[in-house]
Amino acid sequence: MNTVLDLLKTLRACALEEGLVMAIEYHEEDSYLTRFANSAISLNTSEHLVRLKFTAFDGYRRAEYGMITDPKDLQAMREGLRTAGRMARVAEPLSFEPTLPYYMKDVVDERAYDPALAGLTSDERLAFFNTAAAGLETEDIKLSGIFSNGTTTVAQICTTGEGIQYFRVTDAKITVVLSSESQKWEVNAEQSAQKKSDLDAAALHRELAFLARHYQEDEPVQLSLGKYRVVFGPAATAEVMEIAAGYGSSGGAMRRGYSYLKEEDLGRRVFSPLVSVSDDPGIPALYGRTADRYGRDRAEFPVFKEGVFQAFTWEQDDADEFGRTPTGHDVDQYSFSVNPGSMDCADLEALAALPRDEDVLYIPYIHYMNIVNPSKGLVTGSSRFGALLLRKDGSVNIPYNVRLTQAFADFFGDGVRWLSKQQVVYNTSSTYGRRNPVALRVPRFLCVDGIEISHSNASY
Amino acid sequence: MKQELKNKLDGLKAQGATYADARWYPYEDSNQLLMWNGNLRDLTSSSQSGVGVRVLYKGAWGFSASSDLGNIDQVFQKAFDNARVAAERVTFPVRLAEKDAVRDNFSSPNQVDPFSVPLEEKVEFLKKLDAALDKPGVAQRMCSMEFTRKQIVYLDSEGSEIEKNIVEVFPGIRVMGIDAQGGMQSRKWMPGRQGASRGWESLDLEVFLRNADRVTLELNQLLTAEDCPRDQRSVILLPGIMYLQTHETIGHALELDRILGYELSFAGGSFVRLEDFGKLRYGSEKLTARADATVPNSPGSFGYDDDGVQAQNNLLIDQGILVGAITGRQMVEEANARARRPIFAGSSGANRATSFYRVPIERMTNINIDPGTDGSLEDIVRHTEKGVILDGDKSWSIGSNREQFHFATDIGWRVEDGEVKGVVKNATYRGSTLAFYNSLSAVGDERTWEVRYVNNCGKGAPNQIMQLGHGVPVCRFDNVTVGE
Repeated sequence: MNTVLDLLKTLRACALEEGLVMAIEYHEEDSYLTRFANSAISLNTSEHLVRLKFTAFDGYRRAEYGMITDPKDLQAMREGLRTAGRMARVAEPLSFEPTLPYYMKDVVDERAYDPALAGLTSDERLAFFNTAAAGLETEDIKLSGIFSNGTTTVAQICTTGEGIQYFRVTDAKITVVLSSESQKWEVNAEQSAQKKSDLDAAALHRELAFLARHYQEDEPVQLSLGKYRVVFGPAATAEVMEIAAGYGSSGGAMRRGYSYLKEEDLGRRVFSPLVSVSDDPGIPALYGRTADRYGRDRAEFPVFKEGVFQAFTWEQDDADEFGRTPTGHDVDQYSFSVNPGSMDCADLEALAALPRDEDVLYIPYIHYMNIVNPSKGLVTGSSRFGALLLRKDGSVNIPYNVRLTQAFADFFGDGVRWLSKQQVVYNTSSTYGRRNPVALRVPRFLCVDGIEISHSNASY
Repeated sequence: MKQELKNKLDGLKAQGATYADARWYPYEDSNQLLMWNGNLRDLTSSSQSGVGVRVLYKGAWGFSASSDLGNIDQVFQKAFDNARVAAERVTFPVRLAEKDAVRDNFSSPNQVDPFSVPLEEKVEFLKKLDAALDKPGVAQRMCSMEFTRKQIVYLDSEGSEIEKNIVEVFPGIRVMGIDAQGGMQSRKWMPGRQGASRGWESLDLEVFLRNADRVTLELNQLLTAEDCPRDQRSVILLPGIMYLQTHETIGHALELDRILGYELSFAGGSFVRLEDFGKLRYGSEKLTARADATVPNSPGSFGYDDDGVQAQNNLLIDQGILVGAITGRQMVEEANARARRPIFAGSSGANRATSFYRVPIERMTNINIDPGTDGSLEDIVRHTEKGVILDGDKSWSIGSNREQFHFATDIGWRVEDGEVKGVVKNATYRGSTLAFYNSLSAVGDERTWEVRYVNNCGKGAPNQIMQLGHGVPVCRFDNVTVGE
């Protein structure tokens, strides 16, 4: 930690020498990924990258210069911050004066850092996968998946104050896939870990064994189009809610006209009374930071309470532009937690054993979801990875993949029948750019009536 | 540095590696500007440098990368150690298709390096565009430009040594407005290939201003338009959506790593099977598609891929029949062995990495549809009884095996009895890939053909984004479900 803090102090001193008003952010990732395909390790990789971001302010002007660089090359970093300063001087003025970050105190937040997970070896990742898939592979059924883990360090300093903010977290995401080469079906089980003790290969094995058995023994069917009672798994619930709560509650998006939530929705019931969601940085497993990029302390922020929309989030720029008060949401990730319900249903076996008076379609995962109409909160995506049709007579069929094009209110509105009282953490991180762990805590299962299937595949 | 990398590649061979390569990026620079409602909201530059090392040991890959060039030894050793552990679980030992060792260089065509253009000039360009978009009905207006330039030094243990210098320019404009029902409508324009090069000179202000006028006019038409009908009819896809249709349901479906199951844990598979090559009727006889990395001016043209294989122009679909795939050196060997017949003669030169810190994977180059013989857009409309012309990608969602899809477009124009009857909003269409391409009933001629860029194609784990292109004509497909 001290090396990072010393570097930032040195860079701050450089910026002050240059007469710059500047915020400096350090990002370091130590990433590991073991990738499996066709029952082999198809790639074993590690990346160590240091990124710096210099944001220069000049009254109403602002510019940013980013680097992936050698952390010992001070000359290059100094040139980087000078470049940001030069750019800010010639930038076009904004119509609002951007607020400067100010860190009045030091913040060190390592609640979500686990040295044991940080030190996980390639051999341990392989052993985990071997346990998760033990006895489930055949000539036809192949193992795929990823074991991704890493350490992310973010530190921030600015020329307006002497405080430093330092955050370090560890995260892991494991996806284990079994697929039939001849049939082309695929099932998966996933796990998120913030510390090594979260890892549970046996739990993944149980889920995979359950799904693989059904996919080998039960009859596949093409579903008729129409409305279904659907139970969503945690991946589906987390990914839909991440958009519904994340982009939906953005004050900037609302003011620009592309949120399905409007100003008049504040205080109104927009979802089922069973649905309560908050952004809770207090939960280490959700990687929330205790302070945002502007040095504001962060606390639990209710978004939906018993279905009633509570508040828009306001990032600093949007607040500056629209004359609002920022809400501490200038962070790389939100930490949404969806309250549990009352249904005791801990795993797939329990779900299959629940008494039911009509067929239930289990959709664990929604593939390639996209927003069709932002004003209506309309999204579309396809089922994938281990869907089941649980017949009311107790039998099980395997549905070919289906497409649903539905509004957020269809997922979380009055159609909601129950949520499980068991919750799981689901890691939704995408690493197209820098490592940035994101996770939601959601009920293990969410049961909704009236979900419409608009397309149904005729085969795997 | 080059000699040091060569020595270390030799060192890996001495440790038992069967193959190794290193990609050193002395620099990769980017510059982005976004003007939103007159505010220069984003003015960002960045630079990165580092090295990535790939090692093949006992049939398994290891990779490591770092921006810390003072610690190169550790990068090479980590890559080797990663391969050593990967070799503990091998089912089909990696073999690489043959290639010749090459010493060459490639530079993308450009006359004016966009990084040499003063920032004030770029801002001035955006301000003129912003003013042109600032019209009644426009609630949000955005103009953006992104520039990248990078130098890549590729070295491998087979003796190849390639230097690439690539410059890209990605500009665009977009307007949004609120319709009578409170819905957000939008219209955008991203230029296709302009001229023969891709430097600053490719930004022609007059062309941008003409299109600024057009998109604001079309946005205002959308604000009072009827909803897209919900029925079955012909869809006439303009290049502004045909490029994405091609990308998602031909390009991704024909990546050989997807076909062989290497993307099952994330991006997905493909409905295509090895036995389909040479036999599968992918589309009607009007459909001919190719992977052409030799188009002179497109982000999908790069000289040599990250296996060190020269860029090529290969048929993928020949008059409707599937004949080729998007491949690198590893996958063609595995596919031929699994199929027990030589489907592929060699790598098609499409193994590409997004940066030094990612491993190369099968990637699209320029996935193009050949122009047809059905004339202009007007000719195609004239011969359409009941249809809708669609343009502008708004949303896209594709099945995990690329077997079905749902697209929403910015705008539509209803066609009845060979005439355009007016603009429709909230247009969508969906279909099953094979049925859709087999319903291809008209392909526009060269006048309708445009190269469109993609600068954000996501794939792989760890994730990568890639730049590429699609040259596509206007195409008509029949009996398509629209409006859902």
